Amino acid sequence: MTRRRPLLSVVVIGLACLVGMPLYYILVNTFKTQEEMVSSPLAPPTSFYLDNYLEVFDRIPLAQSFGNTLYVTVGAVVVQLLVGATAAYGMILRATLFNRIFGALLLLAFVVPGQATLIPLYRTLVDAELVDTLNGLIFMYAGGSIFCFFLIQGYIRTLPFEIIEAARIDGAGVFQIFWRIVLPLIRPILITVGIFQTMWVWNDFILPNVFISSPEKRTIVLEVYSAVGQFTTDWPAFMTLSVIVLVPMVVFFVLTQRHIISGLLAGGVKG
Amino acid sequence: MTVATEAPPPSGSGTATRPRAAGRRTGPSGGWREAAAHQLFLVPVAAVFIVLFVIPLGQTFYWSLTDFTGYSDDFAFVGLENYRTILSDPSMTAGLTFTLLFAVGTTVLTTVIAIPLAVALNQRLYGRNLARSLFFFPAIPSMAVLGLVWGYILSPLGSGVLNSVLDSTLGLGPVPWLSDSTLAKFSVIMVGVWGGAGWHAVLYLAYLQSIPHEYYEVATIDGASGRQRFFHITLPLLMPAMVISQFLLMTNGLKVFDLPYTLTNGGPGFATQTITQSIIVSGVGQGQYGIASALAVLFTIAVAALAFSQLLISRRIERRVL
Amino acid sequence: MTRHSRHLAAALSLATALAVSACGGGGAADGDTLTLLAWDSEEVMTPVLEAFEEAHPDIDVEATYSPPVAEYIQALQTRVLSGTAPDVFLIAAENKTNLIEGGHVLDLAGEDFLAGVPEFNQQTYGADGAVYGLSLSSWGAGILYNEDLLAEVGAEEPPDTWDEFLALCAELKDAGITPYLEPLDAMPGVLSAFLGAYDASTGHTMDDEIFSGASTFEETWTPLLEQYNRLYDEDLVTRDTVGLGPDQVEAEFANGRVAMMIAGPWNVNSVREAAPDLEVRMVPIPGVDGGEPFLAGAAAPGLAINPESGNIEAAKAFLSFFASPEGIEIYQAQLGAITVTDDFEPPLDPALDPVVEDVRAGNVYLPQIAWQRAEDVLNVEAVAQIQRMVQGEITPREVAQALDRKLASS
Repeated sequence: MTRRRPLLSVVVIGLACLVGMPLYYILVNTFKTQEEMVSSPLAPPTSFYLDNYLEVFDRIPLAQSFGNTLYVTVGAVVVQLLVGATAAYGMILRATLFNRIFGALLLLAFVVPGQATLIPLYRTLVDAELVDTLNGLIFMYAGGSIFCFFLIQGYIRTLPFEIIEAARIDGAGVFQIFWRIVLPLIRPILITVGIFQTMWVWNDFILPNVFISSPEKRTIVLEVYSAVGQFTTDWPAFMTLSVIVLVPMVVFFVLTQRHIISGLLAGGVKG
Repeated sequence: MTVATEAPPPSGSGTATRPRAAGRRTGPSGGWREAAAHQLFLVPVAAVFIVLFVIPLGQTFYWSLTDFTGYSDDFAFVGLENYRTILSDPSMTAGLTFTLLFAVGTTVLTTVIAIPLAVALNQRLYGRNLARSLFFFPAIPSMAVLGLVWGYILSPLGSGVLNSVLDSTLGLGPVPWLSDSTLAKFSVIMVGVWGGAGWHAVLYLAYLQSIPHEYYEVATIDGASGRQRFFHITLPLLMPAMVISQFLLMTNGLKVFDLPYTLTNGGPGFATQTITQSIIVSGVGQGQYGIASALAVLFTIAVAALAFSQLLISRRIERRVL
Repeated sequence: MTRHSRHLAAALSLATALAVSACGGGGAADGDTLTLLAWDSEEVMTPVLEAFEEAHPDIDVEATYSPPVAEYIQALQTRVLSGTAPDVFLIAAENKTNLIEGGHVLDLAGEDFLAGVPEFNQQTYGADGAVYGLSLSSWGAGILYNEDLLAEVGAEEPPDTWDEFLALCAELKDAGITPYLEPLDAMPGVLSAFLGAYDASTGHTMDDEIFSGASTFEETWTPLLEQYNRLYDEDLVTRDTVGLGPDQVEAEFANGRVAMMIAGPWNVNSVREAAPDLEVRMVPIPGVDGGEPFLAGAAAPGLAINPESGNIEAAKAFLSFFASPEGIEIYQAQLGAITVTDDFEPPLDPALDPVVEDVRAGNVYLPQIAWQRAEDVLNVEAVAQIQRMVQGEITPREVAQALDRKLASS
């Protein structure tokens, strides 16, 4: 059970490389001139060409856009996870008919096409004086709570409820149980959902494109799309910026995904 | 198998009765106060739902009864006229076939690939972090850049990446990946699966953590093979995850727009056109916001009906299995 | 878990600090702030904006960028409807009807900066004598050819007539050279040019007649579609073009794998970058049925002013600067666009010489811009049906009939 499996490793890594080919394509072309990219798109770069990166660093206030994106992403994901986790727990605690119907209604959030709610929401934000603010974006992303709720609820249902029961009998309060027992137990799904939502918010273009208009409030993805023109897209710049946006996410993923380990195993009752 | 009967009681009714039974033990007044505290947990999500979904959807429904252009608040009430227009226009259903094919195709294929992948990625492997990342990241870069990259890979010309590989290894002539109606449908679905399989594998990976190790240990002692353990422990206990994953795949599949739009622009002919594309083109592109709103309402109802029946069916299967 | 949440808290406070310090820079209080929703990329606009601010130190421009076309239209629409529209924005083929009918654009007729703009560009964004957009350039798509590959069959440049063009394609094909490629994810440029030449020969009444019901697509388009489809019927060009996008076609051309392609001025720029040594040149699309060679193309989107802006004077100053030889020179240098103002001669790639005059005079045609209603719906239908025709599923007549049905139902 604990020994590494060499054969499976080779198969999995081989498949992973195949799946990762398009990513290789994007990465490798950021180190090429336009000429090289067109004539030999898949070959490794012939020289250590960094101009694409230098140009982008020179032209775009990356520190500021990264700061904005970080603020929005952290704020939005924390809100989503809190709202989603409390809702999922509340739904398990009180599975009354009313609540179950309400839970099913919440799923409507998945079937509404985003385009349909954009203009009404924009007007709400104008009224709340939240349009063109980073907090307004966080407010919009709070809609992702329902996704979190859905995933966390499914997970909580698989947990042995005896642990919570035991804590109740010991006289622990409702919020205490939630904070010290439930949250550690659902850590794998919290981290997974956190990863999903971080990727989404970090990379989202649709909402900032409509809701942000001041240059100093731009998120990093808006900078990526600044390379798109009416007839032609500056592909080297576009890919370079895409890679710059992606790098923090890769680091984040690699650091967090190793924590997707059993809350039961890590001593859920430790609290 | 004995192991399966030892599974924790995950079904909704089972867990619901337990806290209530415990509540009675603390006396009726404590139970009431506790119930109120429990209900409090649902307030934030209700607020989010009402403000960000119910109210805007209500607004959209209201607009669907008007001749709103999307540019001026000067509009008139037209009753059900927009709905009549849509239902009598045959082209609105142009994208129906491919949308359904795409939703069902990606749901089935992604599930079939993601579960074994998650199980593999849950093992101790050399380079596991790298493999997890490589599988997870395909869907993250913007569709604009992925459309370009896949356009080159699947180019029907002899110089296309995939075609030159096929030519040099198997000596196959150029395959019209994107220029043949049937192959184009297949290609778009494959790219969709490519983008989603790793993401859903990570979802399953999280759910695998809730399966206690003891189950496997007991099964191994009982002499169960790896395949038996997969089919009798892992798969049944992943049912809640499958319900969720497939619901997401289905709703996203029915709403798909970006991928076929950037890869094939709905072509060749109407082969890969989707319903959302029809909505956006005929509604928003023409400044007929009233009609677009009516379409959005109809679409919401249709997707809801499909997705909820799928959810009911899979929940029923889940109960039977567990 | 507690350690985890402490990390989160630390990250959040760091992000707050960054965001707050970032906000410190914005918001010039004195002087006018002119807001602009730009259509061109930031790289293109920045030098123009800097020069403008230098010439008008009292005006501060705050520009937002949204990529064309769909994203731009959406961002602008949302803001217009909510009363938060910028002072200056772009009026394009896709939103002009709605902007004009909703009264969201100022009539610019009679302004000095329009004096040097040709009638064609003014009319594209005008209605009933009013002019709502300052369109400063036009584009035209013709046949871009590889001189060396043509020389291999002894041709100097693509001929003037369609019959001869098809003969040249056949010759190239016999010599083992791929003669021609076009992306079919949009309206084919060749067909647009055929239609444009025909429209010009009727005194620009073709679309009036179709949309008034005096004529039909079937009547007007069928012969031209049949001519166009000879490319595929006579097996001169691969039917795989239905699966190609513009980037792939351009890459094939830049790598010397195809002799001719349909191209706009922007393709010339990027082919030069991708293949500096290639000898290329562009000519208008050959004439069919005795018609003149013609170009597919249109007037570029125009700068428009928000009538509810509190900054109309500053906005007009901005448009004047943009149209002045000084402003347009900077803009032109960024994009290599074919500008149309009469007091500035754009320095262009010599490969474009054979088409520049026609483009500047407005001798270009694009169906989806000339159409009078249901433009988007008809365009999507036309592209899809033409793809089916190229695949051999339907006849040219059936394409035109489908358009007539579409027009009748929308």
